[in-house]
Amino acid sequence: MRMISKRPRALLAATLSFSALFGGLTSAPAQAPAKEIHVDAAADLQTVLPVLAQAYEHATGIKLKVSYGSSATLATQILNGEPTDLFLSADYTFPEKVVAAGLADTGDPIPYAKGTLVLWARKDSPLQPLHLEALTDPRVKTVAIANADHAPYGRAAMSALEKLKMLDQVKPKLVVAENIAQTAQFVESGNAQLGLISMTTASTEHFTQIGTFVLVPNVYPEIRQCAVVLAKSEHRAEAHAFLDWLRSPSIQSSLPKMGLTPVQ
Amino acid sequence: MDIEALLLTLRLALSTTALLLLIALPLAWWIVSGRGFGRALVQAIVALPLVLPPTVLGFYLLVMMGPLTPIGRLLIRLVGHPLAFSFAGLLVGSVLYSLPFAVQPLVSGFSSIDPGYLEAANGLGASPGRIFRTIILPLSRRSVLTSIILTFTHTVGEFGVVLMLGGNIPGATRTMSISLYDQVQEFDYAAANRTALTLIAVALAALFVIYLLPGRMSRRAERGELA
Repeated sequence: MRMISKRPRALLAATLSFSALFGGLTSAPAQAPAKEIHVDAAADLQTVLPVLAQAYEHATGIKLKVSYGSSATLATQILNGEPTDLFLSADYTFPEKVVAAGLADTGDPIPYAKGTLVLWARKDSPLQPLHLEALTDPRVKTVAIANADHAPYGRAAMSALEKLKMLDQVKPKLVVAENIAQTAQFVESGNAQLGLISMTTASTEHFTQIGTFVLVPNVYPEIRQCAVVLAKSEHRAEAHAFLDWLRSPSIQSSLPKMGLTPVQ
Repeated sequence: MDIEALLLTLRLALSTTALLLLIALPLAWWIVSGRGFGRALVQAIVALPLVLPPTVLGFYLLVMMGPLTPIGRLLIRLVGHPLAFSFAGLLVGSVLYSLPFAVQPLVSGFSSIDPGYLEAANGLGASPGRIFRTIILPLSRRSVLTSIILTFTHTVGEFGVVLMLGGNIPGATRTMSISLYDQVQEFDYAAANRTALTLIAVALAALFVIYLLPGRMSRRAERGELA
């Protein structure tokens, strides 16, 4: 399933501050004809990629056309012949499937960021001030989580609950969303009382205004977000160039404020 | 195969069909029993779920039935818990989603009844309830059956609304279509095939009944068994 980008206002503000930040990059003249690369991106990037894409287009004249979904949905589509140029997954295993199918341009998935899992609740929740023990609070009837089979953040959340010895207590309360963006929607709309969501979503302007988050202790396997360029892509060079840019120190150092951790 | 999901889907489809029949019969009759601005507007609103993407319908329901709206708070007070992520929530979603499939066949069936019968019955002093039971319903039997079966099959195949509203809870909101989607996502194509075949079998059987039964009825009617 494809999700359409929302929260235009927060996006605009972030974009403006970013174009100021990356102003130096525009010195490279955009002489080459404007090109587009098609990117399939994990749903946790829904708040991050529009900002980066704007900065990248500003710097190079190359546009990113992005489709969002759970990493599994995107991998399924790519394995079944979807003509995309770049796959930005939220983990290692789904791009690895693309590599194994012989569809990738490189022998290994390329890491570009690390994800962080947070527990989020609305500010008007009786569970404020929020802390991790809220998960086992008897007042809590619903906890939103992403599907552990499709969404790397869901897998991390299940693993964290298990390591924290909370899984047995929390399991009956879990409501499962298709991807991490929908998980955030469940708890943002007040239907779920708590949500285990990505820090990328939790650190957007909208989510910091209406809620608070606490970090989930780092007991879950690393959410190592990896990418592959598709071998059949006509814009392989451009896709690699974007990926290199994404992995460059200046961009990596700007990731934390958007809820991601640099890979190096 | 996910038997729990199959049973849940059948329960949801049967409950939706029963509830929608109760809503659609009087609604369709009201629509055909006159003309005017109000009726046209209601008919247009009834047809809206045909146009709206089910995921959008599901999203609006999620927000509307949540604790952030007055309607949602009222519902939560009445039911005791938010409707989203529960069978009751799916039932509300399914009723709205399948509404046009229940109402449209009835509207076309009712509007093809010769008003002469109704005037005659009225002239002979039959009550409106009796006219509905003894004339309108028997004469539009085929439409009622079509409405029932279309509602049922449409609910069995429902996906977007359940995806947005359900929360994928085994036994409560994980229907066949969600289970099928999960199996595809998990690259378990064999299980996905079995689920898909079951869905096809249910739909085919139900649709087969539509095309089979009315024919039998009309033959019985010809032999004068249908008084």
